[in-house]
Amino acid sequence: MTVPPNFRDLVGHDLSAEERARLERVHELLVEAGPPPELPPSLADAPGRGEEPLAGLPRRRAGAVLSLAAAIAVVAFLGGYVTGFRHSSFDAKREVPMHGTSVAPRAQGVIKLGKQDSAGNWPMVVTVRGLPRLPERGYYELFVKRDGFFLRCGNFNVKAGTTTVDFSVPYTFERNDGWIVTRWRRGEQKPGPALLTT
Amino acid sequence: MSAAPTLRSGLPVALRLATIQVVAADPMTDGELIARVGEGDSGAFELLYGRYARPVFALALRRLGDRGRAEDAVQETFASVWRSARSYRQERGPGAPWLYAVARNAIVDRRRALGEPPVEPVEEAAQDPGPPERAESSWTAWRVHRALAGLPETERRLIELAYWGELSQSEIAEFLNIPLGTVKTRTRSALGRLADLLEGELS
Repeated sequence: MTVPPNFRDLVGHDLSAEERARLERVHELLVEAGPPPELPPSLADAPGRGEEPLAGLPRRRAGAVLSLAAAIAVVAFLGGYVTGFRHSSFDAKREVPMHGTSVAPRAQGVIKLGKQDSAGNWPMVVTVRGLPRLPERGYYELFVKRDGFFLRCGNFNVKAGTTTVDFSVPYTFERNDGWIVTRWRRGEQKPGPALLTT
Repeated sequence: MSAAPTLRSGLPVALRLATIQVVAADPMTDGELIARVGEGDSGAFELLYGRYARPVFALALRRLGDRGRAEDAVQETFASVWRSARSYRQERGPGAPWLYAVARNAIVDRRRALGEPPVEPVEEAAQDPGPPERAESSWTAWRVHRALAGLPETERRLIELAYWGELSQSEIAEFLNIPLGTVKTRTRSALGRLADLLEGELS
């Protein structure tokens, strides 16, 4: 559950009583409604581009083809970027692109998964950019999402520009795992709102 | 789809898939857009999709609990909009409740197709959402999410960062590289605009 902002901090103290009440009602509605979900890539554009929308469209298949093409392009692009960058020697067995949510729409990232070591740990290199720098004692947290549960992978800070972080985690990763980056919240077991997602 | 522009670093600018089209500058009401869709106007259909794709997806996700099925329900909804927009009458009421009813029916149909009982009775429109709090809550979320889609992008981002990004006003100012005073002014302006949109029942 997201912690709502303090209404008085948001609007200040120089409003008329009537206007304050009006805005406070909106504040309550925003808190009640919660965030709208991110649209999946298959729903990014209006179906059929308005010509004969959905006529004969095999529903998710068309979107899936577009999504796959987009994903391949992004993987190729980000993969090419990351290769030859700082961790050029990292032997990635799989790369997972991440994109910013509406909270941080300009954020981007890529996760490179290495080969499981003899002790059962999986090395990974996470590259992100476009996330806001957090104040002291503020951190980001990477989670892997599986079957509705979130597994914690680790915390990190960011600097201006691109940040690359190494992790090693004991989980066995699966193809249909999802990933999110959230802001770390003291004492919270569940992740907060995602800033980056797969 | 055109290729994403690139930054000097080589990374693509944020994927356009991550956000929806901003339609605040478009003066047409939802009702006018639906009427145009009824005449076969594909541009109006795209504008309507930009305004409502996220609210419909949110509603479907809430009711169906599965992203894949929710995606199908969104496609069903907009297929229905395209087919039945001709039957919409502006004089009977604003567009948002009509679209809500279309979306709800599409979601109920999807549950039926899967052999699951509908969780709520099908409604004609949302003016009378019925006793269940759940219906009221869904309608509230629908209106709020639609209103958010009507904000200019600069204001919508501020609201999302403040309410769901858990950033303070100072952190937002630093993140967006704008003065703190601007953050405060725009946030208040965004709340006022949302109040206008919500009071007007999103005509």
